[in-house]
Amino acid sequence: MSWPLTLDGGAALGAGLLLGVAFGFVLERAGLGDPKKLVGLFYLEDFTMLKVMFSAIAVASAGIALLAVFGVMDLAALAVQPTYLWPQIVGGLVLGAGFALGGY
Amino acid sequence: MRPYWSPYTAGVALGATLLLTYVLMGFGLGASGAFTHVAAALEGAVAPGRAQANSYIAGYLEAGRLWAQWVVIEMLGVVLGGVLGAWSAGRFAWRLDRGAAIGGGRRLLFAFVGGATVGFASRIAQGCTSGLALSGGAVLAPGAWAFLMAFMAGGFAMAWMVRRIWR
Repeated sequence: MSWPLTLDGGAALGAGLLLGVAFGFVLERAGLGDPKKLVGLFYLEDFTMLKVMFSAIAVASAGIALLAVFGVMDLAALAVQPTYLWPQIVGGLVLGAGFALGGY
Repeated sequence: MRPYWSPYTAGVALGATLLLTYVLMGFGLGASGAFTHVAAALEGAVAPGRAQANSYIAGYLEAGRLWAQWVVIEMLGVVLGGVLGAWSAGRFAWRLDRGAAIGGGRRLLFAFVGGATVGFASRIAQGCTSGLALSGGAVLAPGAWAFLMAFMAGGFAMAWMVRRIWR
């Protein structure tokens, strides 16, 4: 149960910069820097966002679960987003609407 | 110009990045929080009295200097990574992507209104498609999945209403 490492200070910021670079690089290579691909789902024309997002969630959650099963990852130490159901539903509706408005 | 990656290859790479973030930090990737930190810092600089009187903004200011905030540095990395990805693939260029039926000025206006709507919504939901849907989805947070379903519903509904602008 040695993970998560929960870095702090300069190590955390350095890791944050590198993880951000990886995040931005992958999003760009996936084509999600293209606004047409970002809103394509809502016109049933381009499912890139859906495929990238769900395969990423599948890989990360399976990885976390496996690490927990082998006793490497302490699930209780992970920050899980709290549930505020109505604000999250209303926020999701408005955020989706904003995506579609932004268009391309 | 190199072609885009397969969405599944990109998804696996993004999932690995997200997993590594949870291993190193104990939390996931984010985006909208960085903009909130910047907005709070701006208000703190321009109208400190007003910023301190707002407990939500004051909470962000108490976190300390802007450049010491994890999500701000991570977001800076996202911009760098995006530029690096586009540049190394031969895609880096100044251009305005827009639908055939819309002029440049209106395109930018709609982009601004859409962006402001997304920013506003991210504060209602306490997260965006990165920090809530993606990171929360990976740790099976119920609110993240409710948000994701509502995000799709809102997107489809608004896309139907504004489709004439983009078709």
